[in-house]
Amino acid sequence: MRLNKVILVMFVVFCAVFLMSFAGWAQKAGFDDKEIRIGQWGPQTGPAAPWGAVARGTRVIFDLVNEEGGIHGRKIRYFIRDDQYNPSQTMAAVRDLVDRQGVFAFVGGVGTAPGLAVRDYLRQKKIIWTSVCTGAKGFYDPFNPYLWGVWVLYEDDGSIIAKFLVEKKKFKKIAYLYQNDDWGADAMVGIKKRLKTYGMDLVAAVPVEPIERDLSSQVARLKASGAEAVIGMVAPTQAAIALRTAVSVGFHPQWIHSYNLTDYVLMNMITDGLWAKEGVMTSAFTEDIFNYNIPIVKKYADAAKRLYPQERWGIFFAAGIVVAEPLVEALKRTGRNLSTEAVANQLNNLTFQGMGPKIKWTATNHRPPRELRIWQCGPKGEVIVVQDWTVNELPLELDKKK
Amino acid sequence: MDMKRSYYEDIELFKSGTILFWSIIFLLALFTFPLYTSDYSIYLMSLIMVYVIVSVGLNILVGSTGQISLGHAGFFAIGAYATVLLMTHLQVPFFVAIIAAAFIAAFFGFILGLPALRLEGPYLTIATLAFGLAIMHVIGHTEIFGGRQGLIAPELDLGIKQLGLNFVISTVTQKYYLVLGFTIVMVLFAINILKTKPGRAFVAIRDSDIAAEVIGINLTIYKTLSFAVSAFYAGIAGGLFAFVLGFFDPFTFNLILSIIFIVMIVVGGLGSVMGSISGAALITYLMYDLFKNVDEAPFIGPLFLSFSERWMTITGMDNFNYIALGLVMIGIMLFEPLGLFGAWIRIKKYWKTWPF
Repeated sequence: MRLNKVILVMFVVFCAVFLMSFAGWAQKAGFDDKEIRIGQWGPQTGPAAPWGAVARGTRVIFDLVNEEGGIHGRKIRYFIRDDQYNPSQTMAAVRDLVDRQGVFAFVGGVGTAPGLAVRDYLRQKKIIWTSVCTGAKGFYDPFNPYLWGVWVLYEDDGSIIAKFLVEKKKFKKIAYLYQNDDWGADAMVGIKKRLKTYGMDLVAAVPVEPIERDLSSQVARLKASGAEAVIGMVAPTQAAIALRTAVSVGFHPQWIHSYNLTDYVLMNMITDGLWAKEGVMTSAFTEDIFNYNIPIVKKYADAAKRLYPQERWGIFFAAGIVVAEPLVEALKRTGRNLSTEAVANQLNNLTFQGMGPKIKWTATNHRPPRELRIWQCGPKGEVIVVQDWTVNELPLELDKKK
Repeated sequence: MDMKRSYYEDIELFKSGTILFWSIIFLLALFTFPLYTSDYSIYLMSLIMVYVIVSVGLNILVGSTGQISLGHAGFFAIGAYATVLLMTHLQVPFFVAIIAAAFIAAFFGFILGLPALRLEGPYLTIATLAFGLAIMHVIGHTEIFGGRQGLIAPELDLGIKQLGLNFVISTVTQKYYLVLGFTIVMVLFAINILKTKPGRAFVAIRDSDIAAEVIGINLTIYKTLSFAVSAFYAGIAGGLFAFVLGFFDPFTFNLILSIIFIVMIVVGGLGSVMGSISGAALITYLMYDLFKNVDEAPFIGPLFLSFSERWMTITGMDNFNYIALGLVMIGIMLFEPLGLFGAWIRIKKYWKTWPF
């Protein structure tokens, strides 16, 4: 009898609360008179920690802005959250920043899975998000009015590399070594589409699992195909292992990797200099960050050295600046009267080039730029620009569906 | 501790008026929780409850039956994927889908329970570990599971679409109540199962499986049953996790997650339901929340940061998260091997004669 009463009371309370809870909790505004709050997530600990440099690199540009007195009187307050590349952690971190700190915009954010986890939430909350750090196409289909892309699509990457190999280098036999996931698959679409325009096809397409550490069978297949050039869409460790294995069996094709492997200093270190010796090429999405004759590079590199001397000036650290540049530019153009709509409006009409590729967004097109450069690692590990910005003019898979 | 005068006193759900009173207060607090907190806390609380379900189930296996599993992330993944795929591909209503998914997980649990009949200790652990890893990779390689890219959870419709009954829930608060409902049912179920014949059989197997067999407990049935029940819990939790998060990929369910599950029940207290609840809550809080906002705090933030920069890696505050988590675990192992539940019993004993 007593238990029945208890259950009844609990049920009534439950119903009451359930109905009341629809009201929701007021969200904190993302800025006030003194500051604009901007956030980014990135793996600072855990297996993906090397990518965390992106989030830390972004600090450089925001610190520079603040040193110059902020943007129209408002300083930027920047939050980094470690998500360990775990989508559930990303979701927690993003909700925390939005609810407790009140964040106006997010920049960057490493990884496809963490990004996809928070994509719909950020869109629903109408929070500006520029430059997710992945070339996965899922972010641009369907169109998201609050997300602007900078990271070049993997399909464009594959296509531009293939074009370079055929047109500039006149290679006839091209093979492909790829990570067995969407990254590898997306790029393969681009490569195959490009090769088809020349009436060619890959002589071999060899997949690699992200956890594999012995690539001798893959290299043997590449060698057996008689490839003159091998396109790689693999992680740094595997690119290094593949290169070492190939050299040890006397296989010396022209290696050309994705723009995720442009850190030649790191690559030379983990290949004991083979990277330079073999003259490995990559596509690239920035200015040469070690060429201090370029004024904008010098500006950021000097600032990084001064503000964060303990950090290594590498490509991912610099990428942190690239992902934040467009937002800073749009905030500057918006002026003192700040609102999400006003900044979105500026981003929608932004044509801009900083250290990264040339951005041209419109109200209906927030996709990343479609141009990349091709670099080669010189004998001393320096960057040789073998082809300047090149656009992929072929239609994307994204558009084909419609 | 308490004197039991009859069998029925032992199996009572609420042992005394005091416990009943505080349980109701606690439940009321949970039911009204969304009224006075932000979306973020509600999300975190939902996540905690999802992990509570997993650890309550895992504790039945590890704490009560004495079989260690390092593959529970696999069952968790099966629950999440099966629920979402049943809903998107076969248009199965949510409640049917999540229960079916849990039964699929339970079936896999049963299969994994078979080697447990022959393997013991570290060998069994390795077998379960291999299972967890294999599940992750099978899912990552299969197109229908979304491959490496992962899956986006569909709209959460609690009604039956085929009959035209729609009850779509989308806000984090509504999901919170859904998870809360499941958690209460699953926890009550666990308390009950431990007090009935299977529960007593599990404990007998844990204490000595030869003795258990001698007194007439069928090892084949109860060992596999324990695995199946435990996997069923992980399956339910996985299905809820899919919707709390809205998106998941195979690597979410990695080995680390399996280990975290074990940590939760060890920290909470092996073999106790309340221990699993407190352990899951504490570890989830430590992992997801502690130190996340310390960077921005005055004085302490810069202090910690400069310490980290001087003595640890450049990543800053996040170093401390791991340290705190590790210290809590070491501390509990050293000072309170029974976990948080052991600490609770000690406190209770100490205050028993209060105020004298």
